[in-house]
Amino acid sequence: MTLVKEAPVRPAGKRPAAPPAGRRGRRRENLAGYLFMSPWIAGFLLLTAGPMIASLYYAFTSYNLFTPPQWVGLDNFTTMFQDPRWQKSVEVTLEYVVVATPLKLLLALGVALLLAQKRRGQGLYRAAFYMPSLIGASVSVGFVWRALFSDDAVVDRTQKIFGLDVGGWIGNPDYVLYSLVALSIWQFGAPMVIFLAGLKQVPQELYEAAEVDGAGPLRRFWNITLPMISPVLFFNVLLESIHAFQVFGSAYVVSDTRCGPADATLVYTCYLYQKGFKEAQMGFASAMAWTLVIAVALVTAVLFWSQKKWVHYEEAAK
Amino acid sequence: MQQGGTVERRTILKAAGASLAVAGLGATATACGGGSGSGDGTVTIRYAWWGGEPRTIAIKKTIALFEKKFPKIKVKPEFTDYEAFWEKFQTQASGGNPPDVFQNAVGFLRKYDKRGVLLDLKTQADAGNLSLDNFPNGVLANGQVDGKQIAVPVGANTMALVIDLKAFQKAGVEAKFGWTWDEYFDALQTIQDKLKIAGDTGYFSIMYLYDLYLRQNGKAFFTDTDLGFTEDDLTQWWEDGYKRVRSGLVADPKKVEQVKPKSALSAGLAASEFTWDNFSIRYEGEGESDYGLAPIPTTDGEATGQYLGSLMLSAFSGTEHPEEVAQFIDFMVHDPEVGAIMGYDRGILATTEQYEAFKPTDANNKGVAAYEEQVAEAGVLGKITPHPSGADVVEAAFLRIGGEVAQGKTKPADAAEALFSEAKAAFAG
Repeated sequence: MTLVKEAPVRPAGKRPAAPPAGRRGRRRENLAGYLFMSPWIAGFLLLTAGPMIASLYYAFTSYNLFTPPQWVGLDNFTTMFQDPRWQKSVEVTLEYVVVATPLKLLLALGVALLLAQKRRGQGLYRAAFYMPSLIGASVSVGFVWRALFSDDAVVDRTQKIFGLDVGGWIGNPDYVLYSLVALSIWQFGAPMVIFLAGLKQVPQELYEAAEVDGAGPLRRFWNITLPMISPVLFFNVLLESIHAFQVFGSAYVVSDTRCGPADATLVYTCYLYQKGFKEAQMGFASAMAWTLVIAVALVTAVLFWSQKKWVHYEEAAK
Repeated sequence: MQQGGTVERRTILKAAGASLAVAGLGATATACGGGSGSGDGTVTIRYAWWGGEPRTIAIKKTIALFEKKFPKIKVKPEFTDYEAFWEKFQTQASGGNPPDVFQNAVGFLRKYDKRGVLLDLKTQADAGNLSLDNFPNGVLANGQVDGKQIAVPVGANTMALVIDLKAFQKAGVEAKFGWTWDEYFDALQTIQDKLKIAGDTGYFSIMYLYDLYLRQNGKAFFTDTDLGFTEDDLTQWWEDGYKRVRSGLVADPKKVEQVKPKSALSAGLAASEFTWDNFSIRYEGEGESDYGLAPIPTTDGEATGQYLGSLMLSAFSGTEHPEEVAQFIDFMVHDPEVGAIMGYDRGILATTEQYEAFKPTDANNKGVAAYEEQVAEAGVLGKITPHPSGADVVEAAFLRIGGEVAQGKTKPADAAEALFSEAKAAFAG
């Protein structure tokens, strides 16, 4: 199969709304465009690009916010790689990403498959399943989660029915991370909506042809649905893993701001926060931030490289 | 069409320019708003503190009182909980915009003195804007660093053992002055045997208790610049602690974690907890039993290692109104009416004027007063342990790493090593 990554084919001949004649006119138009963009550009430069460049510099300094930053070369990075709490935070984050992302996507795809079929009240179902994605990141849900997974609360009692008496998860370093995983999975609505859009795009003829050839539902899923929605799947995997690497709010709230107990929910960003804003080691925190950026970029690169093997783009012609 | 388009664009350009200009003006206006002087000589000072709702209600009353007596000074309150307070303060202070007056604690003095944030109030006292008289028991020294008065105490507190009175009574054990650690742990054992609850909520993660234990043994948690004990000392302390978690003498840390922000004592998980005596008011509100203050166990049957700590008021070195700020602090620490409103929320009132103005009527405040009197009479109070810059970070690390030990996730020896390494970084910061 030949791959055409992007084909923005514009109908030849007609160009949309001819720009005003002459160089001056065009320049004026450009100026107007930039002016309209200026709030965004100013915001980008002052609030995103500027701080990012500054933090890149701080990553190579010792900086406690009060005395001017002092250049220390790679010290922050060497300290960081030897720091047991940093190692722990990497461990916790990787476990979270590797467990939560696939489970969330599986559930999203499963429910999307069910909801793709026409049935009564499907709008209602879609809205209901999407809802947690809207509220899941809020602080109040974090509190609810804390309550749900405590001793003698819903989860604990339900487990006991099945003879699994492990007590509440919140206070147990071996389980508490899984309450965060559950919170992430619960917000499967956003990728589900994207899957739904992907499923709608699969040409119905393919299924009809397959049916005529005697393919069962499993086979149709494996040989038609999955390849056809693989670009959407790729997109979701990418988005959700990047998202998972940056988890902060849920860990912070569910653990009562300490990312514990015993550092069991010390996700990367939480350690970064503690180092930067509690201990005022801004140089170290900046080094952590840039290490995360590079790590996420690497993961993204690997995913992009791997898509050759499993993502099928439909040919441009339709 | 072409023509019209140009005109429209021009209008839009103008509009855009105008709105940018307005935004610019707005920024200037806000910048001006930051200044706190005004035409009629009224000045505004910002006052920030941490604490629960009762404290906030009381402090707001005292502010109203102050504004009535000093109509030319307006006070803008800012308040939050302890952890958020110091995060916010650090950011504000580094940006040169901390509150003019704020609540402070011993562990933060050297850190912010080193960073040049704290005003030396001695100069204001010399100028007659603030009185440093009538602080009994030497608590004024709690706010002194290298000969400077960078904070003024509002209260004096000391560590105590808060006990569940009903549980102690039911188990038939009694907390006596001068009791030893062995006697204390025997009492917990009796409680565990008879009542099937733990005796303590996790004593070995509390830095200020370990400090007392070290002081009983001729050491202290801090020296002027470093930790005042060895890794072996701490390993032993945490090994004993973990042993008591496993035997159930100390409450299960998993359960303690889950009842947060409630205390494990008021949640009924254990019968006693070490904390500062002025915090004891929280237990009555949170729990269903009756709570009282009991003496700190000793090593030799006499010395508890205790000293008077303080919550204090400090001022920003860069404040535009040092004189008014000094007057404000003076009022807050000396005015009898303020003392009557605040009570013992931040410890026994630090000045004699305020101490005499407040006569406790409820059991809790009476208990705090009786406890501090008892401690003072016993003659066990010593000089406060020094707090080097970074003491606050070490305290947080001690609590966290102690928690890891309790959970069985870190071996005591490794935990002690981790604390020493984090402390080193904190002192250097």
